[in-house]
Amino acid sequence: MEEIKTGVYICHCGLNIAGTVNVEEVARYAGTLPNVVVARDYRYMCSDPGQALIKDDIKNLGLNRVVVASCSPRMHEPTFRRACQDAGLNPYLFEHANIREHCSWVHDDRQIATEKAKDLVRAAVRRVFYNEPLEIKERPLNPNVLVVGGGIAGIQAALDIANGEHRVYLVEKEPAIGGHMAQLDRTFPTLDCSECILTPKMTEVGQHPFITLLAYSEVEEVAGSVGNFKVRVKKKARYVDEEKCTGCGVCEEKCPWKVDSEYEVGMGKRGVVYVPFAQAIPHVATIDKERCVYFLKGKCRACEKFCDAKAIDFEQKDEIVELEVGSIILTTGYDVFDSRRIPQYGYGRYDNVLTGLEFERMTCAAGPTGGKVLLKDGRQPESVAIIHCVGSRDENYHEYCSRVCCMYALKYAHLIKENTQAEVYQMYIDMRCFGEGFEEFYRRVCDEGVNFIRGKVAKVTDVALTEGEQGKLAVIAEDTLLGGIIRVPVDMVILCPALEARFGAEDVAKLFTINRRADGFFMERHVKLDPVATATEGVYIAGCCEGPKDIPDTVAQASAAAAKALSVISRGRVVIEPTTAQVNEVLCQACGRCEEICDFHAPKVISKDGLRVSSVDAALCKGCGACAVVCPTGAMSVRHSTREQINGMVEALLEV
Amino acid sequence: MGFGDELIHDRELFSCLSCYACSNLCPSDVDYPVFTQKVRNLASGEGEHGDCAHSGTLLSIMRLTSRSDIKQKRLDWLDGLHTSEKSEVLYFAGCAPYFEPVFEDIEVSPVNIARNSIKVLNALGIEPMVLPNERCCGHDLLWTGDVETFKKLAQFNAQMIKESGAKKIVFSCPEGYRTFKLDYPNYVDLGCDVQHVSELLAEKIGQNGVKFKEIKKKVTYQDPCRLGRHLGIYEPPREIIKAIPGIELVEMEHSGDESICCGTSVWTNCSSYSKQIREERLLEARATGADMLITACPKCQIHFKCAMVDKGAEKGPDIKMEVMDLVNLVANAMET
Repeated sequence: MEEIKTGVYICHCGLNIAGTVNVEEVARYAGTLPNVVVARDYRYMCSDPGQALIKDDIKNLGLNRVVVASCSPRMHEPTFRRACQDAGLNPYLFEHANIREHCSWVHDDRQIATEKAKDLVRAAVRRVFYNEPLEIKERPLNPNVLVVGGGIAGIQAALDIANGEHRVYLVEKEPAIGGHMAQLDRTFPTLDCSECILTPKMTEVGQHPFITLLAYSEVEEVAGSVGNFKVRVKKKARYVDEEKCTGCGVCEEKCPWKVDSEYEVGMGKRGVVYVPFAQAIPHVATIDKERCVYFLKGKCRACEKFCDAKAIDFEQKDEIVELEVGSIILTTGYDVFDSRRIPQYGYGRYDNVLTGLEFERMTCAAGPTGGKVLLKDGRQPESVAIIHCVGSRDENYHEYCSRVCCMYALKYAHLIKENTQAEVYQMYIDMRCFGEGFEEFYRRVCDEGVNFIRGKVAKVTDVALTEGEQGKLAVIAEDTLLGGIIRVPVDMVILCPALEARFGAEDVAKLFTINRRADGFFMERHVKLDPVATATEGVYIAGCCEGPKDIPDTVAQASAAAAKALSVISRGRVVIEPTTAQVNEVLCQACGRCEEICDFHAPKVISKDGLRVSSVDAALCKGCGACAVVCPTGAMSVRHSTREQINGMVEALLEV
Repeated sequence: MGFGDELIHDRELFSCLSCYACSNLCPSDVDYPVFTQKVRNLASGEGEHGDCAHSGTLLSIMRLTSRSDIKQKRLDWLDGLHTSEKSEVLYFAGCAPYFEPVFEDIEVSPVNIARNSIKVLNALGIEPMVLPNERCCGHDLLWTGDVETFKKLAQFNAQMIKESGAKKIVFSCPEGYRTFKLDYPNYVDLGCDVQHVSELLAEKIGQNGVKFKEIKKKVTYQDPCRLGRHLGIYEPPREIIKAIPGIELVEMEHSGDESICCGTSVWTNCSSYSKQIREERLLEARATGADMLITACPKCQIHFKCAMVDKGAEKGPDIKMEVMDLVNLVANAMET
């Protein structure tokens, strides 16, 4: 075995360390430790002259191990590893002792801090003795991208990547793309028509030579790792041949059975065979098998008789599509909070209590009322209350702010004022108008004569206490500015329900091996410095699946996710960190405990030369060490955190 | 003894199970495992220790009990059992309280064996002493070459036992029994008898007229190496099993002094070979058509149950089978 020659460098970090730790004494002490051939202290080790000290010593003294005692490895481990590498030393033969965050910054007593710094240096010197040179590996990657979810986020991400001429597979579980944005009437604060700005992008997706649209499809299985994912997608049977269908709509017209339209949130009807909305992409019909009388009772097939294109195909089967992609963008969107969960607001009991989405459809010119704001009995309302924070900012439901409600509530007020003579009441907790043009829009709506009542609504009731409340809904709220309980009689109540994590988000998170926050939305790798990335390399998130947000933020995030994917594609290869788990095949008993515990599906029990043994996919492994802990025999260990290294440190720390 | 580096640094030095199968076959009666023990002592001085299973935790605990100032809280499990401060009989609980949490996942409860041992002793009219600051017997340290720590443990235990005034020590663990019976006399004077719980039971069953209820089961018996080939105790466990009405005892292809070890000793070099030994042994046990495998050593139970863990996507052969300690079986049969 070669002789171990260690160089130890103690950083002053100006006075950050030297102010509390006697760095000269620590350096002198380090010089007395076994295998240490040189120990120095220096003002700023991370500076160029500081790094030059290390490089020169490696060359002149033949150092084969380096320890720097300075700040956190998160800060400068890469710097010093690079310095070692520049001088021809394998970067994994470097070890970082943190005597700033772990010592000088958290202690006042100079003597005690100095002793602790010595302990930390001694532990690092012992650990580095056992360090082994490791090699960073690379492998080619597949440039294709999978985008899951065809709302505005997915559409934007898909277009950004496809415009760079890379293949995108866009998977949407509904029959058509567009998501929630396709249901909106106008967008705040500019009041441009949602459909008018969305449908050109939808059409572009439908026609783009680099986008393969898999609508009415769901991802069933994901395997592999960044650069080389294998994905199984189930393309659900529409019972309509997409190639033949012209989207003429005759089938829907002739279908004798009508059901509530999802697109119109139950305010309109659709056929059991249907095209979800006029601008749907793909513009083809789908048979709702669950409710089709032919499938239920074996008789009807009216649609088939009237279809000139002969596109109806009752024999169609679900199809499995296998995709190979290098990165994945999840844009699976949100669910709207079910307002029935707050029964005191009367949604579902009173005809004229609507949700925001229902009101969107009502004001939409192509919607069920032709754009007119009408009560259930066809009259125009004389007064409307808009209730903010229904299920948001409420400890009983969701503590978070849904971020979009204040602004769309202002938009509703404006639209009501524009279309009716009605008095409008905003029942709000706080007005949060933080985006570009938001505050100006708030002013504008204030000037239009809208009443703002600051306070949480307690109840909506049809029990009239006064003559003025007869035939109306009384909204009972606390007006926190006046300091009293008020009752406001209105004809119509619009609720602003929370945006919440999709039903099934947990399964999606499991499928793609990403984490969720306590509120159920998908979690970014670092909330500030690593947005759109997730715990799994090569899987990105954008839009409301990450948390409630408006359209501009969603689009920006989608473009960010696309940029991340494009950056991986542009690098052209995947770097595989060597600090991953490894299996000692002699010790391995193939019990599969490692396979069970790993969140990243890295270890798998396989058959090798007739023997069952665990095998680690280095590209999936994060080096977290869970497998090494659960392994009873010691077969599993993590490179660069081996038992010798860890035990060595512990032993060194226990020595006095 | 003039051993070269080659032998001392050979990983396989720590693979020997010290099961005595070799000595059992040797026409010249060579005590091969004792060679292993001695060479391991030399290797241990050179920092060699083989591949420690369970991250070395169990051996660390054993070493910790050799500290003079250690304060143990190891008798919580005695709750509700009859023991006495002064008795001629001492029950040596061994590592059971320490093993307990480590093997929860494979549903092995060494403490349950200890509890049932006391219950069985109670049924025989014995209220034993149990030492509150008992040390590890040192078996695993002796056989991994750490003779120094072993001696310390032996001295601690011998002193405490002398002070207790016990005339007989009863064990449910064959390793502790072997160590006290064959190894302690080389270092300390205990001044009292030692006995395995199965020997005691076999003696008393006839005399006291212990009543067993019927258990309708076909069982087979695993001779633990320490109890069997190390100490020659083959019949007492079998007599006890046969004394339980309804039980049919069937023998495996290899039994008695030809019995096969459970595959790992002293928590070291537990490997794919160990697994293979266990698989073959369990297949032998299943081939007898028995419903249950009875063993008299908690480690046999740990190793067989661990071998049945098969959580990977690709499965091994079906070796699942109920495994039960002899003491637990007896306690079940005694319950009314």
